[in-house]
Amino acid sequence: MVLAAAFVVACGGGGHNDPAPVTPPPTQQPPPATISKADAYRFLNQATFGATAAEAQNVITLGYEAWIDQQLQRPASLELPHVQQVFATYPPGADFTKLHEDRVDIWLRHALHAPDQLRQRVAFALSQIMVISQSSALVGYPWGCASYYDMLTQNAFGNFRELMENVTLHPAMGVYLSMLGNQKPDVAHNIRPDENYARELMQLFTVGLVELNLDGSVKTDSAGQPIPTYDQDIVQGFAHVYTGWTYSGAPSFAAAIPTIANQIRPMQAYSEQHATGTKRMLSYAGAVSTIPAGQTPEQDLDAALDNIFNHPNVGPFIAQRLIQHLVTSNPSPQYVERIARKFNDDGAGKRGNLAAVIKAILLDAEARTAPASATAGKLKEPLLRLTQLWRAYDASSQSGKYNVQNITGLIGQGPLQAPSVFNFFSPFYAPPGEIANQGLVAPEMQVTTEYLSSLWTDYVFALAFCYTTMPVQGCPAVPPALQPDLVTIDASAERAMAANPQALVDAIADKLVGGPLSSTLSTEAKSMVERAPASETALRVAEALYLIASAPEVAQQR
Amino acid sequence: MDNFNRRRFLKCAAAGGLAYAFGRTPQAVSAATISSSAAFADYKALVCVFLFGGNDSFNMVVPRSAAEYGVYAASRQNLAIAQASLLPINSLVPDPNGALYGLHPSMSELATLFEQDEKCAIVANLGPLIEPTTKAQYQAKATHLPPQLFSHNDQQDQWHALKGEATLKSGWGGRIADALLAPGAATPLTQSLAVNLSLSGQTLFQAGVTSVPYTMGATGPVPFFGLEGADAYTLARRAAFERILSANHATVYERAYATVQQRALQGAARINDALASVRSPNAVPFATAFPTTPLGQQLKTVAELIATRDQLEVSRQIFFVAIGGFDTHDAQTQDQPQLLGNLSSCLAAFYRATVELGIAAGVTTFTQSDFGRTLTSNGDGTDHAWGGNQLVIGGAVAGRTLYGRYPLLQIDGPDDVGGGRMIPTTSSDQYAATLARWFGVADSALTSVAPHLGNFTAANLGFLQT
Repeated sequence: MVLAAAFVVACGGGGHNDPAPVTPPPTQQPPPATISKADAYRFLNQATFGATAAEAQNVITLGYEAWIDQQLQRPASLELPHVQQVFATYPPGADFTKLHEDRVDIWLRHALHAPDQLRQRVAFALSQIMVISQSSALVGYPWGCASYYDMLTQNAFGNFRELMENVTLHPAMGVYLSMLGNQKPDVAHNIRPDENYARELMQLFTVGLVELNLDGSVKTDSAGQPIPTYDQDIVQGFAHVYTGWTYSGAPSFAAAIPTIANQIRPMQAYSEQHATGTKRMLSYAGAVSTIPAGQTPEQDLDAALDNIFNHPNVGPFIAQRLIQHLVTSNPSPQYVERIARKFNDDGAGKRGNLAAVIKAILLDAEARTAPASATAGKLKEPLLRLTQLWRAYDASSQSGKYNVQNITGLIGQGPLQAPSVFNFFSPFYAPPGEIANQGLVAPEMQVTTEYLSSLWTDYVFALAFCYTTMPVQGCPAVPPALQPDLVTIDASAERAMAANPQALVDAIADKLVGGPLSSTLSTEAKSMVERAPASETALRVAEALYLIASAPEVAQQR
Repeated sequence: MDNFNRRRFLKCAAAGGLAYAFGRTPQAVSAATISSSAAFADYKALVCVFLFGGNDSFNMVVPRSAAEYGVYAASRQNLAIAQASLLPINSLVPDPNGALYGLHPSMSELATLFEQDEKCAIVANLGPLIEPTTKAQYQAKATHLPPQLFSHNDQQDQWHALKGEATLKSGWGGRIADALLAPGAATPLTQSLAVNLSLSGQTLFQAGVTSVPYTMGATGPVPFFGLEGADAYTLARRAAFERILSANHATVYERAYATVQQRALQGAARINDALASVRSPNAVPFATAFPTTPLGQQLKTVAELIATRDQLEVSRQIFFVAIGGFDTHDAQTQDQPQLLGNLSSCLAAFYRATVELGIAAGVTTFTQSDFGRTLTSNGDGTDHAWGGNQLVIGGAVAGRTLYGRYPLLQIDGPDDVGGGRMIPTTSSDQYAATLARWFGVADSALTSVAPHLGNFTAANLGFLQT
């Protein structure tokens, strides 16, 4: 297999109505002399839901930095208005939990067509760090879930401290991690504040369990053991902070009940249920590690979030998570440190500037240099495999919807559908074998079981043979009721090349990886094309597409 | 054209779960590739039922005698189960202090299994420990403790891997398979199908140092639509697909992905063929009806797989099934009856099915969960704690008995490290070793399964007859 810049696993082609307003690049540094198509594809698979030929041309014209700057200016494409619009068509008494399917539909529409691709891709990463899931009580809160996702999208390029506050006060998070309705202690009844949000905000969203060096490595004590960032007393301290909050606009804490309106508004504090004693916070150099008694709920919350936000772990913690979601599972410590420094100070003295962090992640030499290492890049997660294939082949349906009713059942992953707050996969997951043995991780392998890999392979088979604009003769009829929403791909360009097997294989490679395939994959795909009669053009395309799109090198993000 | 039978392979083509389903072609290339033989003369299965989130098991097994219930009720306040509603159980080994226990009122099937069948045992207040630990030692930090107590993933990993302070990448289910498959094992196991089978995703529990688990869905593996026909055309496609997988790949991620696809391809048809043989209407191996819940479906598939043990030529299997929802920070009183009721009916159905299969004495089902929960309340729910009660069911279980010491459920009492978090009085290592020993792991190899076993007095808790 060739390990060169030209060999890039990506998706491309079939660019779809992305507006391309070419503004003059306000760059501090000029774009690199030349960006190859393969370079552009690799970049776009880190920064969007899948490279397309049109977007690659944009990148080549603008350069990476100007392309990013342009993306940073694009307003957020939002989900909630769509969900509200669909709900307006519901008859009284209809099952509104079905709105989650419309939420997934609009998520897929944005992934495929929204102009704010970078913002959407970062929001997707954030949705897997600060996790809520409809697989919970939130099944009854489709508006809240859409609103939460929109909040992530709107904060994707903002300040991390504001993101923390918006996440904390969002009622969907409040329901999911039970800060909503958290009450002050009632000693007579052995009632103490709920520790759920207190624990997970620190463990999973911001600082993690153990102290980190700036480069993301774990600090150890004199005995060589990791140093915990907090203990049970501190969890309890924060649990007391997060008391008194529930739905906004109620006459009292006890009287607050969920409505369509208040699940999309920040929670409100009701002082009658707020614990007013002193509270222990995180300790670190320069920290104010105690909250004094007698403050308001809002004052306590501000102090607590400041205390977490300024913990030295947050920079390396968030740097590592975002790099893993966007670029590579195993960044070098130096890469993590460069991004953590950017988090700590964006160059203008500001901490937590996410736009600067995202830009630094994507412009870093480790992200931009063509990979030569066997540990570079990462495995694509199921949803990104899907959106990249769909974008490369301009997937669409007659109805205009992407109505995949049970997307987790289809491919093992869906937006805001994680099994728990620990997401679909852990950042520390190491499959047994060479990855674990070398001390590496491959988080996405946790959702690459035998079962899920065969599901995906079968989906590719169905897409290649039957769900195309030119199904192979013999494909079973789609029931009429399902026809309008059936998502099909456009392989008509390839069909015209069916008489020339090598050209056909190369055309698919160009769309899916932006360059040549490994020689084995190319040879095998070509031989299957040749096995099909030349007159069977649809079959020839399907054979090649199936073998290529399901291959390991296409599951790899370079 | 003979070398490509388009119509036939397309019969199993489409859908892929999108909208409309398909069967696969009946004549599949399958078991032919792998031969299998097993050295054990008997068949045994361990079935791990993992309750994700942390089961509030002090509401599952509750003291009902007056004095002990009084302590319980005073601690649990508005989360206490009413004394009169508890389903009485009577251990064959009486409590030295006369304490009596009952099950949560939603668990009638389990109460029957305990009281009448005597095939259910309770192991009290289990949890990860590195060494026996008292409250004084805990408070003085004078003992080694599993790191990150009360954190979900860390304590799941403790249960899965028994890793203590080490950074183990293997689980004890995987290490049992390693021990049995080791060339030097007393009774070396040579079956070709994976010992560890998961119906609920990847789990550290089943990762071996050398052995590799196989993961399927709740109803079994998914067939490869495009690759399982026996006609020359499909065989050519499959051969091409396999050569692509076995090529030299550029990255560790591609190699890992290819390896999983290879395993899937090898296992899917073989297991599906076996399952098909017990799913045709005239070949159904048991009449027991399973609850139509995710756990019920998983356990039904496990029972069907066990029914095909001869066809699959296996003598030792470890199954992993799981359900979530036990992280009851909220609405515990509303949710717990459903959670525990489902558990009870599923476990009982599974046991009944193994009786019908004539294999009950060879199948042991056991529960695990992240941790127990606080005896104190956060208003309408509970938070993360430590020790908890677990269930063991099967024909080989010395049942109708409560094993281990049930703790004193008193806030700030001798077993509480704060907020009603019980220090485990029996370790997960002891539990695992007892199960492993029954399964066939030699005594000399038990510490490879349960690394801290030597720190505890009893290596065998006695709940399994051998």
